[in-house]
Amino acid sequence: MTAVATACPPAVRQGGGPVPVVSEGPALLAGIAQGPGLAAHLNRLGPAPRPSLGALVDMARDVDLRGRGGAGFPFATKLSAAARRRAVVVVNASEGEPGSHKDAALISCAPHVVLDGAAAVARALRTQEVHIVVSSEHPSLRRVVEKALRERVTAGECLDLRLHDAAPRFVAGQAQAVLQLLAGRENLPVTAWQPEAVSGHRGRPTLLSNAETFAQIGHLVRVGSAGYAAHGTAGEPGTTLVTLRGDGWAPEVREVAHGTPLADLLDEAETSRPLLLGGYHGTWLRPAQLRGMTVSRSAIAAAGATLGAGVMLPLAQGRCPLVRTAELVEYLAGQSARRCGPCLNGLPAMAEAVRALVHGEGSVRRVEELCGLVVRRGACAHPDGTARLVASMMQRFPAEVQAHSVGTCRRGREVSG
Amino acid sequence: MSEHQLRVDWPACKGHGLCAELLPEVISLDEWGYPIVHEPVKGEVLAMARRAVKACPTLALRLTLPA
Ligand code: SF4
Ligand code: SF4
Repeated sequence: MTAVATACPPAVRQGGGPVPVVSEGPALLAGIAQGPGLAAHLNRLGPAPRPSLGALVDMARDVDLRGRGGAGFPFATKLSAAARRRAVVVVNASEGEPGSHKDAALISCAPHVVLDGAAAVARALRTQEVHIVVSSEHPSLRRVVEKALRERVTAGECLDLRLHDAAPRFVAGQAQAVLQLLAGRENLPVTAWQPEAVSGHRGRPTLLSNAETFAQIGHLVRVGSAGYAAHGTAGEPGTTLVTLRGDGWAPEVREVAHGTPLADLLDEAETSRPLLLGGYHGTWLRPAQLRGMTVSRSAIAAAGATLGAGVMLPLAQGRCPLVRTAELVEYLAGQSARRCGPCLNGLPAMAEAVRALVHGEGSVRRVEELCGLVVRRGACAHPDGTARLVASMMQRFPAEVQAHSVGTCRRGREVSG
Repeated sequence: MSEHQLRVDWPACKGHGLCAELLPEVISLDEWGYPIVHEPVKGEVLAMARRAVKACPTLALRLTLPA
């Protein structure tokens, strides 16, 4: 199952940790061992159909395709909203989350699946203008995309394809920050008064989606709704990309069908420790909640979490989830774009409050108060995501929080059950 | 009577606190001096909210109708 695609060395982050292993997958990552070139891609799959807007909306609705950047917004709704004059298509592969590598893996191993999707969406919206945003942390990724674009132009693609480099910052991939980058301004979030599908790039209707979302479209237009449903469950057709241990040891990118047991992705030792699901803005789950859990939006929602962009971070052996959370909040506070008062002040205060709590010098009330003070009070959802992480720590580990707050936590004791 | 939302453009807001003085019914300040909007604006408060929007030195406040 874990056939390593040797023909596809995934893009490596500058100064980054271990290179993630990318495995061949059932749909988007099928055939990656043959390399990322256009010839191999076309040989295997033939040219991608380019359906009309109505047909594409119907297909996306049939399979309930959701955005894969984290928010999970229904793609058909977004596509319909953007279907007006002078639309723009933006493929967001900037992936600022340190625990996520799936977009980098996808775009370095299967760039033409992503670009097929972008071309289909552009055609449906009757536009030629397609922007692709990659992280400047991945110089090798940029080269892969440049090569893929050249191949398509040579093959007669008549799209106006433009490549942009996002800043290596956690919030650089946020939709409004990406629109700022496209407009030649600093790559930071600004206040959105309207959804970007209504008023996005230079005020034009803009279909901005995550790279995996476009790849899902690239696959969907080829196989149709019925073919798409060959994988996944009746309620959640298709596959999804996940990054395992993305910020730690042995990082891995996998494409799995919805409904796949978590136990197929993580080993027993990993599922018997707490798991941070959805990345640094995500939610902690206790080992007992992981038992029988599958990769499915509904199962994960039932456990009070979301899959987000598919980031799964099992806690390293012997580590305390509270200490880990304190480290993450400190990192996140440092990633604030430092422009919105409540985020600029609130996140460092929260980092300090969580650190104090973990060291038996703080109070639960102060942490809760700060969570309340930052939520929905910034140009982007960075404070909300940080508060979500902290709230999940308080909720999932109440006994440990209590023990830490009164200074009786025995260092090294692990959370089980 | 429609309810307006008072929204803050956070990168623009510099925490002058003028809005909380002009509209204490709806706005208080957090511990760092930034506005906390407590409820939607309606009725006679609307005119005062409009004044607060105009008075903000950085034009960081907007009244919006829910979509
Ligand atoms: S009980 Fe010990 S091991 Fe567990 S969270 Fe607290 S310090 Fe860490
Ligand atoms: S008056 Fe304007 S700048 Fe001052 S706190 Fe209110 S919104 Fe912010």
